[in-house]
Amino acid sequence: MAITEEHFKKIVDKLVFLKDTSELMIDLAYSSLLLNSRSLAEEVEALENHMDNLHTDFELLVLSSGFTPEESKDFLGLIRLGVVTEEIADAAMEIANVVLRGLEPHPILKLVIEEAEETVTRVTVSETSPLVGKKIREAQIQEETGMWVLVIRRGTWWLRPRSDTVIKAGDVLIAAGYAEGEADFEALASGVKEPVKQEG
Amino acid sequence: MAESEKIDYEPISVREALTEMKDVSEIMIDLAYSAALFNSHELAEEVMELEKRVDYLAYIIDMNTMLAARDAEDAKHLTAVTTVAAATNKISDAAADIASIVLKEIGIHPIVRKAFEQVEERLARTIVKPESILVNKKLGDLELAAKIGVDIIAIRRRQKWLIDPSEKERVVESDVLIVRGAPHGVDELKALAEGKIKELE
Repeated sequence: MAITEEHFKKIVDKLVFLKDTSELMIDLAYSSLLLNSRSLAEEVEALENHMDNLHTDFELLVLSSGFTPEESKDFLGLIRLGVVTEEIADAAMEIANVVLRGLEPHPILKLVIEEAEETVTRVTVSETSPLVGKKIREAQIQEETGMWVLVIRRGTWWLRPRSDTVIKAGDVLIAAGYAEGEADFEALASGVKEPVKQEG
Repeated sequence: MAESEKIDYEPISVREALTEMKDVSEIMIDLAYSAALFNSHELAEEVMELEKRVDYLAYIIDMNTMLAARDAEDAKHLTAVTTVAAATNKISDAAADIASIVLKEIGIHPIVRKAFEQVEERLARTIVKPESILVNKKLGDLELAAKIGVDIIAIRRRQKWLIDPSEKERVVESDVLIVRGAPHGVDELKALAEGKIKELE
């Protein structure tokens, strides 16, 4: 039985999304621990719930491919890969739970994850921000503020920023970088003023 | 190679062990996906090797945290450390699960592989032969990233792993190099390691 190309494209897209999301969750979870940041830990939690739904969608999609018995092994491989992304997401959630439960992060943890003076911040892009309508590449956020975007939340979707991702008003940007850049980054996203260019 | 080894207490600090565990588990995930996408038994085997190292480190962390707790207050603080160590271990287990999809030849539907193959970078493993010009050279002097666009992300030297090796590290005969880069560069590095190309331009 023929499986349409369109069906495959859907499977691949979902799998790529699961993979990217699980990896993003790990980054966020470690950051939440490093900064003892409840808000980042909550993002991990929200992503975890989102992942559960996506994973079910993915499995249903794979199972509805109408494969032949000979093809079943290949499809089993797909199902297993999906399970692995879920395992990774669970591990990220466990890390974030340390923060959510208010367990005092042991100083060792900070040392382990440490990138000194680094901070993570979360801002909402206002309609008047110069970032609106720009691609990540054009926005020059890192050049202007020294902070780089880890993830974009758009409504109930999370996007991993790519160089051609277009920023929209209302996007929540979560970015990491040096503490000195935080104010510039917030100003840039809020559109209150143009970022201050720093020398050197 | 699958037997459980006896674990001896070793004075590695929790900090060192956990840092290594975190780095190794992240590399394992990258390696494991590459193994699945290119159906590479070589890479899958490296993931399994790393998994042994992570399991070992997990024991060390357990032992050390137990020794460190003098009272209930200590134990409370250390719980956060063991929780993170357990989660990191879980990530490495997930990577090993991907690798076993490859090793058990379950396979992944070829069309998916085709979709992933468009990824520009790839990972590969290569073993340094005695006749390779890489032998005894410092990584910093080789300038692999600048010359062929390839990065050595880890070296396995017998039982030891060097993760993200420093510029000063010298390549030794029979080192197993884990490299990342554009497909063309990766092929070139393999040829250099095998002694098939004698010049690095």
